Amino acid sequence: MRRSPLKPVRLAIAVVVLAGFTAALLDFRGLVPARVAHWLAAVQFTPSLLALGSSLAAGLVLLVILGVTLAFGRVYCSTVCPLGLLQDGIARLAAWLRPRRRSLPPAKPSHWLRYGMLVACVLTIAGGAASIAYAHADPYSIFGRIFSGIFRPLVVAANNGLVAPAQGLGQQWLYRVTTPWPGLGVLLPAGLALMVVAVLVLWRGRLYCNTLCPVGTVLGLLARHAAFRLTIDQSVCSKCTECLRSCKAQCLDLRTSRIDASRCVACYNCIAACADHGIAYRFAWTRPKAPQPATSVVALEPDRQRRALLAGALLLAPAVTLRAAESALPALVVGPRPPASPPGSLNVRRFVDRCTACQLCVSTCPTQVLQPAFLEYGFEGLAKPHLDFNRAFCNYDCRRCGEVCPNGAITLLSLAEKRLSSVGVAKFDQKRCIVDKDGTDCAACSEHCPTKAVFTVPFRTNLRLPKVNEELCIGCGACEYACPVRPVRAITVAARAEHAFAREPYDPPVAKPTTGDFAF
Amino acid sequence: MKTSRRDFLKSGLAVAATVSAGQFSRLLAADTPAAQPLLIAVRDGSRTAMLERALAELGGIGKFVRPGQTVLIKPNIGWDVPPERAGNTHPEVVGRLVALCREAGAKSVSVFDHTCDQWQRCYATSGIGPAVTAAGGVMVNGDDRAMYRRVDIPRGVKLREAEVHSLVLDSDVYFNVPVLKHHSGSSMTAAMKNLMGVVWDRRFYHSNDLHQCIADFATFKAPTLNILDAYHPMVRNGPRGRSETDVVELRSLLASADMVALDTAAARMLGQDPAAIRHIPLAAELKVGTMDLDAVEIRRIKLA
Repeated sequence: MRRSPLKPVRLAIAVVVLAGFTAALLDFRGLVPARVAHWLAAVQFTPSLLALGSSLAAGLVLLVILGVTLAFGRVYCSTVCPLGLLQDGIARLAAWLRPRRRSLPPAKPSHWLRYGMLVACVLTIAGGAASIAYAHADPYSIFGRIFSGIFRPLVVAANNGLVAPAQGLGQQWLYRVTTPWPGLGVLLPAGLALMVVAVLVLWRGRLYCNTLCPVGTVLGLLARHAAFRLTIDQSVCSKCTECLRSCKAQCLDLRTSRIDASRCVACYNCIAACADHGIAYRFAWTRPKAPQPATSVVALEPDRQRRALLAGALLLAPAVTLRAAESALPALVVGPRPPASPPGSLNVRRFVDRCTACQLCVSTCPTQVLQPAFLEYGFEGLAKPHLDFNRAFCNYDCRRCGEVCPNGAITLLSLAEKRLSSVGVAKFDQKRCIVDKDGTDCAACSEHCPTKAVFTVPFRTNLRLPKVNEELCIGCGACEYACPVRPVRAITVAARAEHAFAREPYDPPVAKPTTGDFAF
Repeated sequence: MKTSRRDFLKSGLAVAATVSAGQFSRLLAADTPAAQPLLIAVRDGSRTAMLERALAELGGIGKFVRPGQTVLIKPNIGWDVPPERAGNTHPEVVGRLVALCREAGAKSVSVFDHTCDQWQRCYATSGIGPAVTAAGGVMVNGDDRAMYRRVDIPRGVKLREAEVHSLVLDSDVYFNVPVLKHHSGSSMTAAMKNLMGVVWDRRFYHSNDLHQCIADFATFKAPTLNILDAYHPMVRNGPRGRSETDVVELRSLLASADMVALDTAAARMLGQDPAAIRHIPLAAELKVGTMDLDAVEIRRIKLA
């Protein structure tokens, strides 16, 4: 009998997906096309769930994920889900560092924990704190925070360390970039998640996916009823236990010759391990005959099934109605200086509700003006990006955050719309301004302003004083970033809770030169 | 037109002064009476034709670049705007200059600016990055503080020390290639203002009398030659500009080793009073160059 190609194919897809995500989230040189980053994330479960109301593609993605799960089980968890792949990576690394072969015994499912987590999520969402549940339970977003918040600074630091030796060898290809040391807003959730995930995977394989991960639990509910399930052919099984040793989900029980499809993450290790070719997908939607054939499912009592399906429906319902609910939510409670949300996010409340703090935009933002918030948006905005004008300002002709955002939290504006999209308004404080205070020219603010909302007017003798035309201001923060006055700047951006469109600037034609001669 | 012997000698002296300006400018300034400065003004040709003509007037690129030398070209690449907006030096000028330096046998030709907008975007959108690479030059990161070294500016009034990009300090040949623009803060940006882009801390300039600092830095190390791209200067909404309507076509290019003379002429081209652009008279006071264009040998050349 031919060896099954399932595991090599699964592995190949996993490697490509993980490599793509790694590149997209660690990309500090803008080398990964925005489209690639976007689609890697947009085919994930939670982003597509959240984008359901606004994107047909998201609906299709979700249908495919659910359809594949219903057909073949939790294929998602070992091919597409980056947090699952990260766990496999950690396990491989550990096995490589400590080659003593260790196998996990089969274990009973932790129903209370996994359904408890799911119900907790559903209740959180239904109770109006969807913005917290989606952000901190979604495996893709957890992965994004770990890579962007923890690994990216390390990679950039390593790059910067290599620049001098490379230049010593005459190589100009490497260059230094500012190391994006993580703020607490991303470091806390990412560090905690990395610790939990790493401990669980080293202790008991894919335990995280089968207890704490609500996406795993939802998919498990479907996988339990999948049309094709991995089954052990008892007629060829020699009980050599190779499959058992290879199972990372502890869902394969040789005593009963059963594989629990609700916990199986479809890694196909057991298929590859079985010298007898005794494990394969078999059609399972047949009427059970007596005596029972080699089945895979731990049968559930009907009322538990009903409960589980109900829970699934509950999870979907608020997501679908998210858009309608947004307007009814109370205004966001924020600190002394409300932060500006990314252009395209339309409204700060809507943005905080939708954003899952996956850090894809933060990683890809060319100016690094997008920074994960700490408590600027309140607790529910933890790690969600805001515009940090201390660090940089938003590039006028860039809309990369909108291009990569997988769930519509940052909508993709056309470049013409982006140039007018106003996330805040510059406020000028003449008392602090150098031109007034010191009587010398400056106008760093006006110089940097892309729309000339900040312009200069004649002042005293031969000086130019900044002024703001609020109608033209898009709140990009170039003026605030450039202002040299400290500690409080003479020009600052007041964020808009509800984004607006600035007036399009109009310039009358300039007078043509009257002479074709030199002016001197 | 016949050239008299006196004219010939004069221009020869000026060329000699220009050529040696890079390394020996301080010696010259201290010991020898300054030769009459020379300003080449070209009109009505293509950008590359005007550049080549200006260099030919000065004795050709070989007068400035010797085989095996390292060359720095400092254009204005401050903004993430395309060439037609004239926010940056035109890529054709920079690219052609890189190619000429390579043909003259330069060991390396480096180009950088400490940009205002995000630097990789500026390098790409300005067209300068691709043009330089295609011509055999190297784009260097201007946004890396580790590449800057602290130096004293002994003749500076306000700016007494600064962190300066090491390419400025270490290159054998140093071309300053600004673009002529209106500027909302300093009224105009041309040769001297362009040198703000080789200094790390621009904020210091802005908070310590911008014009004085610009003039102070002009005393530090005179570029070998300044080449001003005034093909289609931005006459309003500078220095970033807002649209293509901000430019007028003057089809001009100036070249001089004297930054003050060049900026004085540039101000006139924008219809501004050079004396009102404070860094020009301040630099003249610091003996960086002369504002008196009557004392400058100006060669006005029309290519069409």
